[in-house]
Amino acid sequence: MNEEQQLKLQAFLDGELPEAEARDVIAVIARDEEAKALHAELKNTRKALKSSDVKLQLPESREFFWSKIEREIQRLEPVKPAVTTVSLFERLRRLLMPLGAMAALVLVGLLTYNQLGLGGLPHSPETDLALAGTDGFTYRDYSAGMTLVWLPFPAENDLAQDGATTTIQ
Amino acid sequence: MRLKIVFTHLAAWIVAALLLATTVAARAETGDMKLEAQLIWATNDKQDPNPKHKPVAPEIQEKLNQLPLKWANYFEVNKLDLDIPKGESRKAKLSDKCEVEIKNLDGTKVEVALLGSGKNDPLWKRTQGLPKGEILVLGGNAPNSTAWLVALKRGK
Repeated sequence: MNEEQQLKLQAFLDGELPEAEARDVIAVIARDEEAKALHAELKNTRKALKSSDVKLQLPESREFFWSKIEREIQRLEPVKPAVTTVSLFERLRRLLMPLGAMAALVLVGLLTYNQLGLGGLPHSPETDLALAGTDGFTYRDYSAGMTLVWLPFPAENDLAQDGATTTIQ
Repeated sequence: MRLKIVFTHLAAWIVAALLLATTVAARAETGDMKLEAQLIWATNDKQDPNPKHKPVAPEIQEKLNQLPLKWANYFEVNKLDLDIPKGESRKAKLSDKCEVEIKNLDGTKVEVALLGSGKNDPLWKRTQGLPKGEILVLGGNAPNSTAWLVALKRGK
C-alpha cells in the first residue's frame, strides 16, 4: 500500500470519502491483506481513543462561560489616557519656554561677544595703505589700547605752518 | 495650582525681558561708530601761546603719557565728534591745514586718511581695527621741537 491508499483508508474510517471511493476502499480491504490489517489496526486505535475520551462538562452555561472570557479580555486591555484640554496660555507658555531659553543663550552670546571684544580685531595686523614717500612707524600698545602712527611729515608740509605757535592751527 | 500660575507668569515675564534685552543688544550691534577726533599740539612748554588752546582732557593726557613721546604737555587745538554709520565715511576738518577722513568699514575696522589742505589725494592712508575705547594717534614733528597729533578715540 502506498501512502495515498493509506490516507484514503483512514478517510474511509472517518467517513469522509464519497460513496464511490468508499466502495473502492472496501474492495481493496477485501482483496488486500495489508489493507485489511491496517484497517483493523486503525479501527482498534479509533475504538481505544473513543473509549478513553473524558467528557468535560462546563459547570456553567456556555453563554456565561464566554461572557467571563470577554470581561477578562476587556479588563486586560490598556486604559486609554484621558484627553485633557490644554489652555491657550499653557500652549503659549510651552512655546515661549524654549524661545526664552534660546533668547537667553543669544543674549549671553552677544554679551560675551561684546565683553570679550570679539567684535573687533584689536590685535589684527594692520594693513598699511601708505602712499609713496610716507614711511613712518607704528607703535602699538595693546594693554593701553592705543596705536601711534608717526609720520615723517616735516613742519613745512601742509599740516604745519611757520612758527611754533601756528604750527597746527 | 496657585503656585503654578505664579511660576507661569514669572516665566512669561522672564521670557519677555530676555526678548527685550536681546532686541536692545541686537540694536546696539548695528556697527555704527562714535568717534572723537582731536587735533593736539605737543610741546614741553607749560603754556600754550594761543589762549584758545586748552590742555587735553586728563584721560587723553594719561594715555599720551603712556606713549613713547618726548613731550610733557599736550594742548587741544580742536575737537570734533563723529557718528559714522557702518559702511560710510566722514571728514573731520580739524584745522585749515589738517583734515582726516574716516570710513567705518564693518563696525570694527576703519580706513583713516590724512588729507592736506585743498588736496583730494590723501597724504597717508591706513586700514586697521579700532575696537571700542581704543585710540589711534597720528603724529608728526613740528617746528621748535614740537609735534602735531591727531587722536581718534572710539567711544565705548
